[in-house]
Amino acid sequence: MKKILKNILDWLELKVSYADLRFVQTEKENIEVENGILSSYNISTDRGVGIRVLADGAWGFAASNNLDKASLQETAAKALDIARASALTKKEDVRLAYEDRHIDTYITPITKNPFQINPTEKIDLLVKATRMMLKDKVKKSEGSLSFYKTHKIFVSTEGSELEQTIFESGGGIVAYAIGEGDFQKRSYPSSFGGDYATRGYEFIEEMNLLENTERIAEEANQLLVAPPTPEGITDIVLGGSQLALQVHESCGHPVELDRVLGKEISYAGGSFLTLDKLNNFTYGSPEVTIVADATVPGGLGTFGYDDEGVPASKSYLVNKGKFVGYLMSREDALKLGLKSNGAARAENWNRIPLVRMTNVNLLPGNLELDKLIGDIKEGLYLDYNKSWSIDDKRINFQFGTEIAREIKNGKLGKIYKNAVYQGITPGFWKSCDGISSEKYWHVWGLPNCGKGQPDQGMHVAHGTSPARFRKVKVGASK
Amino acid sequence: MKDINSGKELVNKIKSFIKNYDFEIIASEGKSELTRFAESYIHQNVAETNLNLIVKVINEDRIAAVGMNSIDDHTISKNIEKAIEVTKIAPKLDYHYQLLKPQSYKIKSKYSKDTANFNPLNRAQLVSQLIKEVNKREYEAAGAFKTEESTLLVANSEGVFAFDRRTKVDFNCVITRDNSTAHASFIDSDINNFNMNKITDELLRTALKNVEQIEIDPGVYTVILSPEAVSEILNYTSYTAFNGKTIMEGKSFVCHNQGKKIFPETITVSDDPFDELTMPIPFDLVGYPREKIDLIKNGVIKDGVYDHLTALKYNRKCTGNTLPPEQASFGALPFNLVMKEGSNSVEEMISSTKKGIYISRFHYVNILNPMSVQLTGMTRDGTFLIEDGKIVRAIKNMRFNTSVVDMLKAVDMISKERQTKPGFIGPAVTPYLRTNNFTFSSKTSF
Repeated sequence: MKKILKNILDWLELKVSYADLRFVQTEKENIEVENGILSSYNISTDRGVGIRVLADGAWGFAASNNLDKASLQETAAKALDIARASALTKKEDVRLAYEDRHIDTYITPITKNPFQINPTEKIDLLVKATRMMLKDKVKKSEGSLSFYKTHKIFVSTEGSELEQTIFESGGGIVAYAIGEGDFQKRSYPSSFGGDYATRGYEFIEEMNLLENTERIAEEANQLLVAPPTPEGITDIVLGGSQLALQVHESCGHPVELDRVLGKEISYAGGSFLTLDKLNNFTYGSPEVTIVADATVPGGLGTFGYDDEGVPASKSYLVNKGKFVGYLMSREDALKLGLKSNGAARAENWNRIPLVRMTNVNLLPGNLELDKLIGDIKEGLYLDYNKSWSIDDKRINFQFGTEIAREIKNGKLGKIYKNAVYQGITPGFWKSCDGISSEKYWHVWGLPNCGKGQPDQGMHVAHGTSPARFRKVKVGASK
Repeated sequence: MKDINSGKELVNKIKSFIKNYDFEIIASEGKSELTRFAESYIHQNVAETNLNLIVKVINEDRIAAVGMNSIDDHTISKNIEKAIEVTKIAPKLDYHYQLLKPQSYKIKSKYSKDTANFNPLNRAQLVSQLIKEVNKREYEAAGAFKTEESTLLVANSEGVFAFDRRTKVDFNCVITRDNSTAHASFIDSDINNFNMNKITDELLRTALKNVEQIEIDPGVYTVILSPEAVSEILNYTSYTAFNGKTIMEGKSFVCHNQGKKIFPETITVSDDPFDELTMPIPFDLVGYPREKIDLIKNGVIKDGVYDHLTALKYNRKCTGNTLPPEQASFGALPFNLVMKEGSNSVEEMISSTKKGIYISRFHYVNILNPMSVQLTGMTRDGTFLIEDGKIVRAIKNMRFNTSVVDMLKAVDMISKERQTKPGFIGPAVTPYLRTNNFTFSSKTSF
């Protein structure tokens, strides 16, 4: 395949100022079980080539599932036509930040290839787990596992030649307690599909799904009869799973430089972290340090190179509360006179790279969890996302969580249901006065980050450990 | 698979590989092109050709599905073998999986040759025209302009054979100047119905009013929702409340309210592929013919929509709303959401409002409480204060936390005019609504 790609590249070379070609082949296995019954078993293979060109100073992109040389040449010609059409409205020529030429391969280190594990073992695990959760009012249980193997070849007119094979594994379970006019759910290890990582089947084994069925079924039953979360202003601790989504929505998205430059304004929106705020804005308290790190072992946003051929890297976004960096592509980085930090990612062969999160991690603090909770006289411990919403500038947010626990005199107490908290992004992060230590830190994989037109779903991750926030507006959904 | 004959050839090829097992197939093929612009220039411009074949093998109530985007003999046979192997070890369903018998279809999707032939230069020229006009008023334009052509084939081993082709134009745009913004969208099958001058006028009219926004306090307000805002609310409502699977599981507002007259007589919402303003989808993804299904009729909660699996499991009638196998666990969604028109003009709705808020559009809507259908979200791109029958000021964006049930109960005016707006599956056809119960929970300042 690489040879065909290079032939097309040779054909394009004199016609463009830059071009890259990406071949992507993805194998996927998805298993879903409900109440002990296999409800869905899907396997798929998908492959194709995307060709991106800069011609007449503007971008064109065309992609095809047809891989013979003649079809790919047609696709390349289409990309050229598109670039020339784009040039009709250009204000200036598109230029890219300098990047070294890279010739390399990258393979996700895994212990157990998930595609070599017998489907029976995977199905049995979910059948058992979902049966074990059916207790009392838990009338519905779900379990799912998903595995991906993605092989990518990247070649560019700058001479880069990269091959990557990325394995991803993930899954989780959910218990639904259903009563008269109400239902409550509890998920494990995280909500909305569970937890994901660039790891092999060992990641699923380490989840200990079966060992957690009884606890979450019990919590779902308790939630069904629990009182609604009381309204008010109170201190809260966010558990790691919920905090991952808080980081995602209120830091990960607003630091995407393409949003800041207005490129997403018609769809996903813009960002309050405008260019004048870079190195000149207090985003959070001194406790808060957030990095983009595509090198974290096992993170769902971990890879060797992004889809512009830029090596995976670690860069600071927020350092001790100060806003210090964006997620960038080569084109956008140059507008700030910088190099890309390797955050241009494409969902598949038929999509262009956009600025995307990698592993956007809130670095751990130094507190024991007991101490974090212990310093709260009256408050709530909230975890596992149930609902999320944030405005088009990423300022005004509101999250709902599956479970809330009362904190009274430093101790966890009774369960509340339908918890909701809301805030204004910088004020909320400035109210963070404690983050638990590395012992509690985990990189949560989110396989469903949406952006762009046409839509692109991205696999990203967030390292978090539970953190404390003071004087937050809380209440219950009604 | 560009025509019926190539579709038939594909079915025969699959039959020859599958031999003695039952099967269902979904095959789609097409080209999709999208021109995206921001800061008044085209910054992304893409085209894609692809196909997708899903083969579902059914072996005595054991099912596995394989997907592929290449249909050479080797790929198909290798994948089918994999699926057959899985059905040999998979546990059985707890109900009998019955294949659909051959059907006849009353409607077709809309197809426009001009849309299919619309090219990147055609799109760029129209975008350029828009940009020039809004730049004259010192606004910048951002948006996306998509044209696509596709074919869909659904078939099974019982002889179901459903073939359809369609085209689509999907345009959206936001214009901005400092804090002044406006949004417009267009969805249709025929590019000849697209009028950039009309869209430009609409954008500038809204944007020029949406300036010097004031803050108002959160609380319960009378609001007039645009068709775009109504579409968003109804799509989320149907997602959480009118999915037959969640109704059967006791997880929907509909479970305890079926047959009850909860809303005013004027509220009728249906899944209707026959509505003149919709883009009809003629069959679902197992080949059921689509039909009109009432979700709310004259204020009475009727029922949800059902997919093939849920219908078999719970002994219900499938309403022609089956989704692809990878979304089978979700259940069903309306494909052509339609709200019945009222009798008022938009001008009457505004002029008879003593104090209220006009909402052009929402952002990031999500479900807070599925049982009360409480939704949250933000307003965006044009929210206006109405006083004494006139739009008097623009308002800063607000967060709402409101129950759709309470909101619809308090609807007192519905426009005669309806518009076709983007929906979750097919587009939604919705009017303007006025309700006296809409809760804003917070404002935005920092």
